[in-house]
Amino acid sequence: MSGVNDLLETAANGSSSFEGGGASRYRYGVYGMVISSDTPLDLPPDTHAGVARVECVSAPAAAFLAATDGCGDDADADSWYRYIVLRDGSTYVRWRTIGEFLVAGDGRRIMFRRFDRASRESFQVYLLGQALSFALVRQGFEPLHATAVVVDRHAVAFLGSNAFGKSSLAACFLEAGSRLLTDDLLILGESRNRILAYPGPPRLKLFPKIARRFLGQDVTKRVHMNPDTDKLILPIEEHRRHGRPVALDAIYALAAPRDACRTPYVRVENLSPREAFLELLKGTFNRRLTNPPRLKRQFGFTTRLTDLVAVKRLTYPRAIDRLPEVREAVRADLARDARPALNIQPGFLD
Amino acid sequence: MVSFSERLTVAPDVLFRLVGDEGVLLNLNTTLYLGLNPVGTRMWNALTSASSIQAAYDALLGEYEVEPAQLRADLEEFIQRLLGQKLIVAGPAIEASHEPA
Repeated sequence: MSGVNDLLETAANGSSSFEGGGASRYRYGVYGMVISSDTPLDLPPDTHAGVARVECVSAPAAAFLAATDGCGDDADADSWYRYIVLRDGSTYVRWRTIGEFLVAGDGRRIMFRRFDRASRESFQVYLLGQALSFALVRQGFEPLHATAVVVDRHAVAFLGSNAFGKSSLAACFLEAGSRLLTDDLLILGESRNRILAYPGPPRLKLFPKIARRFLGQDVTKRVHMNPDTDKLILPIEEHRRHGRPVALDAIYALAAPRDACRTPYVRVENLSPREAFLELLKGTFNRRLTNPPRLKRQFGFTTRLTDLVAVKRLTYPRAIDRLPEVREAVRADLARDARPALNIQPGFLD
Repeated sequence: MVSFSERLTVAPDVLFRLVGDEGVLLNLNTTLYLGLNPVGTRMWNALTSASSIQAAYDALLGEYEVEPAQLRADLEEFIQRLLGQKLIVAGPAIEASHEPA
C-alpha cells in the first residue's frame, strides 16, 4: 500500500506514468488558493500568491490500485461512494461513475483519475468540490457547505445541505443583478477582524427550470452533474460573477426542505450565538475528517465566525415563484441589519 | 448519583467556549457538540469552578429566585446529563485552605 506522496515521489524518480514535468503546467486561482494541474481545468488563472497551494496530478488506475491494495471494505467496492483513510494519512475517495482521488495527508497534492463515463465538467465538480475539501481541511481551512452571492459589495451566504435550495436562491439573486461568488463550497478567511469570502469556480449547479427561469440559459447542451440527477452544470459568464475576496455580511441557514414545506411564509429569524454555532457546525462541507486537531480547529473557527458574522435562519415555501419574494426579504433584512460588533480574539486560522 | 460534597471538573478532551452569553461544548472523544442556554451555561461555570457541587449549589441559590428543592433537582439532572455525555468528571472536593496563624 502506498500513499499519494510515495506515488508522486516515484513519479519524480522517473515513473513514466507521472513524468513529463506537466504537473504544474496549468495554474489557476480559486478559493483564494493556487491550484496547479497537469490537466486543463475550467478555472480562472491565478492572479496572486494565494493563501495556500494544491497540486493536482492525473494518474492511471494502477496507481490507485496500488495505493488502496488491502485497504477498505470490499463490500464498498461497488457502492456509489467509497472513502478510505490510508495508513500514511492520505485519503482515497471515489464516486462510482465520476472518478477517483487520492489526497495527500498534508493536503498539498491530489492525484486524480476521471472515469470514462464522466464528463469533464462533472468530474471537475467533484475534483474542485468534494475531493478538494479534503485537501482544504488538511491544510487548515474549514469549508462550509454554502453558496454565496455578492449584494451591494458584500458577500451573503446561503448555508445548507444538498437539496436545501442554495443554488436556486443564488440564481434568483443573479437575475436581479447580484454576482455569484461561489456555489456549494465556501472558503472563509479572517482579515482585520472581518471575515472574507473567497470566490469559487465560475459555475452553478441548477435544475433546468431554475436555469431557464432565472438565468435565461439554453440548457439543452448542458451537462448533468452526475447520471442520477437532473441537475445541470452551468458556466457563469464573467459579468455575473465576482472574482475577488469580499467581506462576508451574513449567513442565512436555509431551513430543511421538510420544514420549508410546512410554511406558507417567508421568514428570517436571528439566531442566538449558540444556535448560530450549531448551524455553522452542521454546515461544514467535510464531515469525514474528525481527528482531534481538526475538531479543535473547527471549534475555534466556528466560535470566531459566530462572533464576527450574523447568522440567521431563512424559511420559505419551496416554490420557484416565491423565490423573488425570498430574495427581497433577504435584501430587506440586510438593509436593516447593523453590522455585527467585532470582538478581538486570536484568528481561527492560526 | 454523585455526592454534593464532590467536585466536578471538565473532562480531558472536552472544550468549552462562550459565544455571547451561551456556552458550546465539544467532546473530542465522541465528536459530540452541545450547546448550553444561558442558565445551563451559568450552571456549567458554577459547577466546574467551585470547590464542590455544594459550593456551586449555594452560589446558584443566591443568584436565582428558585426553591432550594427545585434547584437541587435541576442541578442533579444537569449533572447526570453531563456525566452521561462524559463532559465532566467527579472527584474529591478541594479542601478550604488554612491560613497560617
